[in-house]
Amino acid sequence: MNRETQQVILQLAQNARPVRPLRRPYVRAAVWVVISMIFVAGMVLIIPADHDLLRQFAERSFVIEQFAALATGIAAGLAAFVTVIPGGDRRWALLPLLPISLWLGSLAPSCFREFTRMGTQVFLVPHSLWCLPSIVLLGTVPALAMVVMLRRGAPLTPHLTAALGGLAAAGIGNIGVRFIHPEDVSVMLMVWHVGGVMLLCAFAGSAGRHFLNWRSIIGASENIAR
Amino acid sequence: MDITQPVLPDHRFSELMQSAQAGDTDAYIQLLEKVTPRIRQIVRRHRTFLHPEDIEDLVQDILLSLHAVRATYDPGRPFMPWLLAIARNRLVDGARRYARGAAHEVCVENLAVTFADERANTVMNGLGDLPALEQAIGALPPIQRDAIRMLKLGEMSLKEAADAANTTVGALKVATHRAMASLRKMLVKKQ
Repeated sequence: MNRETQQVILQLAQNARPVRPLRRPYVRAAVWVVISMIFVAGMVLIIPADHDLLRQFAERSFVIEQFAALATGIAAGLAAFVTVIPGGDRRWALLPLLPISLWLGSLAPSCFREFTRMGTQVFLVPHSLWCLPSIVLLGTVPALAMVVMLRRGAPLTPHLTAALGGLAAAGIGNIGVRFIHPEDVSVMLMVWHVGGVMLLCAFAGSAGRHFLNWRSIIGASENIAR
Repeated sequence: MDITQPVLPDHRFSELMQSAQAGDTDAYIQLLEKVTPRIRQIVRRHRTFLHPEDIEDLVQDILLSLHAVRATYDPGRPFMPWLLAIARNRLVDGARRYARGAAHEVCVENLAVTFADERANTVMNGLGDLPALEQAIGALPPIQRDAIRMLKLGEMSLKEAADAANTTVGALKVATHRAMASLRKMLVKKQ
């Protein structure tokens, strides 16, 4: 055995504190969803809704859309937690495709109808510019919780993991925004809400290596040992 | 030899890792000593062009990574796929780092080590006992030794050295500070 490597082994073992194995990804995803939903529910209660919530709940399309957004958030969160486990099956990263398809599918028929009726004029329908910042605001705590939890894992695929985490946080944030902001035009929902969530997902993915990298995770473990 | 076939049966590695997670130092040393030849073999197989010291650096990198994410090991799952996933990932990461470094490297032949002016070279007279210094540096723990070699001998910046050692600037500063204190003690003793 190389002398330097032997010294590294001894130093690592002598400084090693007991660690609790991470819980299974589905348990971690469940904990994250509970934290996120408590925050989003709190924000929805604090921020007054400027439309009739009960009427919205009576609409089947709204319920399906919200269910699909929630399922997207949960699936993306679960997939993100699987990607930080060495040896985990990478195919889990495809899981969010199913609820995303449902989400897009729930909006596509009415988008098509609006587009055939109004043409390109549909893009000129007045729209609140606050929806994207609102998704960011309501996704803040879910995103922070996600980063903290992901950094306890291994940064094997930083961009993919961060993109999934971003999709999860933005998806959950969007659920709250849909309760706060009225939006009856499906094309606008598709562009601003679904598009906004995808934009945030891409942004998180591109920034993944900044907060999920071996250097900072090894450095953090050395600081704890010290 | 198949690299996925370990010297010990997988369940034995799992038991050792479980004990290591619970804080058993002896089990952890045993585990790391058992997996190190396996890791070295993987690195050699994937990086045939590397010098032995570079291979050893990568082996140590993988050991540090394994240590940092040891909580991600689930005792209910096999150990070797977990270890191989970390090793392969660090190899890819190392290759990416190497390519990035090589892209920014500039080859300069016969770089001037001092100014030509005579007055600029007077300090060379007071270097002291060089073999004793080299010996004292060699006796430092690896992290401190690397810190001294990169920052004081190699004149790298903190940021460059932290990147090269795959650690943080803060950790490097602490290691340098400790190393300087140890060197001072060791050299004073010898005088």
